[in-house]
Amino acid sequence: MSVLIEATAPSTVEPRGALRSFLRHRMGVIGAAMLLIAVFVAVAAPILAPYDPYEHVRVTVFDIYQKPSAEHLLGTDDGGKDVFSSLLYGARVSLIAGFAAAAIALFIGGLVGIVAGYRGGWVGSLLMRITDFFLVIPDLALQIVLVAIIGPSLGTIIFVIGVLGWTTTARLVRSQALTVRERKYVMRARAIGAGDSHILRRHILPAVLPLMLANMVLVISLAILSESTLAFLGLGDPTVISWGQMLNFAFGRGAVTAGAWWALLPPGFAIVWVVLGTTLLGTALEDALNPRLKRHHLEAAGSDVARGRNVPTLDAPTLAMTGSSADPSPILLVRDLSIEFDTPAGPKLAVEGVSFDLNRGETLGLVGESGCGKTTTVLGVLRLLPPGGRVVSGSVWFDGEDLLGLDGPALRSFRWTRLSLVFQGAMNALNPVLTVGDQIAEAVRLHAPGTTKREAADQVAELLERVGIGRRRANEYPHTYSGGMRQRAMIALALSCDPDVIVADEPTTALDVMIQAQILELLGGIARDFGTGIIIVTHDLGVVAEVCDRVVVMYGGGVAEENQAATLFREPQHPYTQELLQSFPDLAHPDRPLRGIPGSPPRIDDMPVGCRFAPRCPHAFDRCGTERPPDYSAAGGRAACFLLDLEERES
Amino acid sequence: MSGRGGYLLRKIGWALLTIFVVITFNFVLFRVLPGDPAKSGLRDPRLNPAAVEALRERFGIDKPVFLNLDGGNPFDSQYVAYFAALSRGDLGTSYAFRDQPVSSLIGQALGNTLWLILPSQFLAIIFGAGLGLFAAWRRGRALDVSALTFSLFMWSLPTFFLGIILLIIGANWLGLPTAGRITIGAGFESPLDVAIDVGRHLILPTLTLTLVLLGEYMLIMRSSVLDVFGEDYILTARAKGLSTYGIIRHHALRNAILPMVTLIALNLGFTVSGAIQVEAVYSWPGLGALTVNAVGDRDFPVLQGAFLLIAVAVVLANLIAELIYGWLDPRVSDA
Amino acid sequence: MTEPLLRVEDLTKEFAGRATFGDLVRRRAVPPVRAVDGISFELRAGEVLAIVGESGCGKTTTGNLLMGLLQPSSGRVMLEGSEVGALSGRGLQKLRRRVQMIFQDPYESLNPRMRVREIVAEPLRVHRVATSPEDLAARVATALTSAGLSPAEAYVDRFAFEMSGGQRQRVVIAAALALEPTLLVADEPVSMLDVSIRAEILNLLSGLAREQGIGIVMITHDLSTVAAYADRIAVMYLGRIVEHGPTRQVLSDPKHPYARALLSVVPIPDPSVRRTPVILSGETPDPSRIPPGCRFHPRCPVAFDRCPRVDPALIEVGPDHEAACLLYGDGAPADRPA
Repeated sequence: MSVLIEATAPSTVEPRGALRSFLRHRMGVIGAAMLLIAVFVAVAAPILAPYDPYEHVRVTVFDIYQKPSAEHLLGTDDGGKDVFSSLLYGARVSLIAGFAAAAIALFIGGLVGIVAGYRGGWVGSLLMRITDFFLVIPDLALQIVLVAIIGPSLGTIIFVIGVLGWTTTARLVRSQALTVRERKYVMRARAIGAGDSHILRRHILPAVLPLMLANMVLVISLAILSESTLAFLGLGDPTVISWGQMLNFAFGRGAVTAGAWWALLPPGFAIVWVVLGTTLLGTALEDALNPRLKRHHLEAAGSDVARGRNVPTLDAPTLAMTGSSADPSPILLVRDLSIEFDTPAGPKLAVEGVSFDLNRGETLGLVGESGCGKTTTVLGVLRLLPPGGRVVSGSVWFDGEDLLGLDGPALRSFRWTRLSLVFQGAMNALNPVLTVGDQIAEAVRLHAPGTTKREAADQVAELLERVGIGRRRANEYPHTYSGGMRQRAMIALALSCDPDVIVADEPTTALDVMIQAQILELLGGIARDFGTGIIIVTHDLGVVAEVCDRVVVMYGGGVAEENQAATLFREPQHPYTQELLQSFPDLAHPDRPLRGIPGSPPRIDDMPVGCRFAPRCPHAFDRCGTERPPDYSAAGGRAACFLLDLEERES
Repeated sequence: MSGRGGYLLRKIGWALLTIFVVITFNFVLFRVLPGDPAKSGLRDPRLNPAAVEALRERFGIDKPVFLNLDGGNPFDSQYVAYFAALSRGDLGTSYAFRDQPVSSLIGQALGNTLWLILPSQFLAIIFGAGLGLFAAWRRGRALDVSALTFSLFMWSLPTFFLGIILLIIGANWLGLPTAGRITIGAGFESPLDVAIDVGRHLILPTLTLTLVLLGEYMLIMRSSVLDVFGEDYILTARAKGLSTYGIIRHHALRNAILPMVTLIALNLGFTVSGAIQVEAVYSWPGLGALTVNAVGDRDFPVLQGAFLLIAVAVVLANLIAELIYGWLDPRVSDA
Repeated sequence: MTEPLLRVEDLTKEFAGRATFGDLVRRRAVPPVRAVDGISFELRAGEVLAIVGESGCGKTTTGNLLMGLLQPSSGRVMLEGSEVGALSGRGLQKLRRRVQMIFQDPYESLNPRMRVREIVAEPLRVHRVATSPEDLAARVATALTSAGLSPAEAYVDRFAFEMSGGQRQRVVIAAALALEPTLLVADEPVSMLDVSIRAEILNLLSGLAREQGIGIVMITHDLSTVAAYADRIAVMYLGRIVEHGPTRQVLSDPKHPYARALLSVVPIPDPSVRRTPVILSGETPDPSRIPPGCRFHPRCPVAFDRCPRVDPALIEVGPDHEAACLLYGDGAPADRPA
């Protein structure tokens, strides 16, 4: 799933709220109620029914298809029997057939699934082949054939539906068992020396059973449908009354021509009632156990810039600078940017009051630990915030233009030509079904509409050569590339429209050191040769020290410190920067003892009132706990720490 | 690259193996299971003595079932004889329709079933995929919620019951024919009139089957589109400056259709079971109706032949879906 | 000399190669993939050995062989004098109590359905170590305290998702410590953790080695992480140990060209330190296609004529310091680099 949605979405959703989220599902409660009513009716049928439909009564032609009346609430059927009473008794057959067949199906399916998923090997593949085979055989056709050969009795029908209904359960259970088997905690248990029975009991079954419960409900609804279908087709047990059979008799014996809707609609809607109830319940259970990703990138919900955004006024000289080409002049000005995200507990600020500049041709490092808001900040700047996140205040000036004010076509033509992006995890950022060359050519032709295919192909070849891939691989798909190659392809894509600025989000994370060095060298070369401004977002201070001119250190959604790279590493001003450098291993000084920072970074739903770093800061004093520190200039840069206020006053 | 060819061969090989197993399974069902329709068929009073003799000959009732292990030719068995007959296209003779070969009966029925299934399948895929895409895009909005409710209701509605409801509506208010394939005894003046009449007979069954399939396909497409919309390459496309339309057309659609193809293939059994019910309701003379009637008539040769044909057709359709998938997704065939 | 805690002799692991359809049709034999190709080393009690290499070098397979999770194709792993691969049943169970493993991803290696108490008690239950429920609780508390989670009562009732990454990794360590092992195999123990947390976990591990005499084999791709913690470093490339020696020695005077290159590209958080990185071109080859001769020669910046033909063995290049390179020993070219 999307790395970026995960990286930016607030991690406040706890996995254990299954029951709560089930109750939140009104759907599930309604379904359970519908099913309970059906069960009650089935159990209480002899009490509720005014007549006994199994009793043999002599009828005359006048008793057939009587209209509903006080005597017969739902009229009479083709045999002169009370439809209402048959309806109540029919619930018994439907539910018994549904539950019993589902029990058989779940037993077989669960067993096959666990064995195939946990054991694997040839036994597993054989079982899965058998499952695949039964999956392609149309089950109603096979049910018909089997019932025809064995003979129609309720027992046969239950057996046939159950024996043919296990395949979906088996596949589901197998894939869950397979996933759990590969989980690190199962490998850990194995490394401890735990045997199969322990692992099955303690790890596999607890993970599989809830899933089977949800699946059971759906299998029941399928079984009820199958039973009524068979009965409607005339393959039902002739000795019992079921809804399908009521429909079969009525439909086959002239109810339509007689206009006797009361003999047709009640049993039909009774089936709908029970199946709908079980389906609602099953769907709700499945949702609760397996919450789907709630957001996607194209959701048409809300704007990524809040309408009443508070825009800070920019003094005229600064603004004029962004449009000039004086050297050094900032091309990108971010001022007082705040971004909030919707969380279950309401909107929370993920980024608060972030300001920084990027000069033309400069490489800027945006450093911080996970959850510090660095990726959110750049996505906000790029106007790519996932749904549920929005800029609530601040402004972003790019070359004299307010980026946050752009919309529609203006924004689209701005994208990639001025500002492009290299994502973290290039595996997911390239479309798997298009060739690398096509994906680059698409950007080229989109922004230079007159370009012919041939010209675009030439440009693609040139770009691929430039990043060290070679033109011959343009027609290959991303999955044939190695991790390092994919990152190079992503860089070629980012270069394709000759942008002024490239934002690279964790461009080397998950790559080997040597590949990382290759990629950093490539990025450094681009900055040098083309004067492209680069923002590198990373958690790795080493990467920053290697390639960045200037560094912005972020913590808890705000900027802790900003300075020239050389100064920042030599004279860190903010205690967070100091501590971070203390905890970072340094091969140049292997004897320096490393010291971690106790505690952990704050979560966005639990942000300290005062300085965000105060709870972990070795120098914190009373003021830090109550007041948010502003920026103080220090060592040629700035840092948000009250210690600097003290120093200022002392001097 | 041998990847693509290998994928193709692997899938075709698997389909052939499955068909072989289907045939064997079919043989076992009708010969070995208790009740043994083959032998009981010999006592069927509807058969003339010559037909009984032909059956005895064809089934080789006195021969061993799978392999002849009592010396002599080991392949002189009922199982081998069954394969031999199949290879000649001989599916036996119907009990109910005297002396009619099963193959010609199910041949006609298959044609009628295809007339029903193909248009329904086509309409359901087009409308289902379109609605699913739209619902995913506008998730949580009115259209999405009503489309979801519709699918849920369709899923809970037994196909035959939907057929009955539409039949009542169609017969009473729309004046459409509700049974059979063609108006019997009507004097048609031109082939066009025939076509119009058959077409009118097709409206209600096709509508029923389309509605049933549509809900299913819509759900599949919706969830598959939602998955794709959450992927990072969609964000890349947005960052590149593509419009929403461009993103959907160039990046989302092809990826979202991939799981659709597999799931439609896996759901072919569902389509067949829908067709059986629709045919039963509208007396449409297809494979489903033939099967159901054969059960009532205890006409085992027809039942066996029809089941074999249905199963083989589904296996083949599955194969086609797998090949389309391999063609659409470069990752599959290289794996 | 006394028997070391761990002795690995000529350890080799081959995996069956995956046959493509074409291979089957043409009846082509598929050569096995050698993930680990004849490595040897020793570890004394209380010592920390770092096995360093890039992905595909065989370091993770080595870890699994040490744990007895994989059977070696040849060679032996001797723990306190008994051979890991030769044991089975009761003997293997007893051995398992003495080696424990710490996995890379603390988010994945804890069962989300279990409380900390159950997670730490799991190894004790599997090996039926505790004599009574009180004993079990006491052992769990001791393990948690040794892993730096104190007071233990504050943590026992939590689920994994209620804890930070650092705390989770401490729970993993506590579960490993519960059986009082003599050897810990730590596979990338900090690479998934935030930078500010890493040092604490590494300090905890090296403290365990120093104070409780536990031997630790640390498997990692990150040279800078181990620099301050490992006593010795073994650098692996394509299934072989290419350089092996005391940490200080290897870091200050690496001998093998691969080790040199690797060391030269590790980012240093100090812009004032200027080095000339040796950036190797290309990527580590597939272990199913190991180059002939010295396996590093196609990417080696100083390869000479003998390299494609001769497969070098580890030879002494300094006190307790070995490297597998033809630049050293007999037959080295006259203009060998210093």
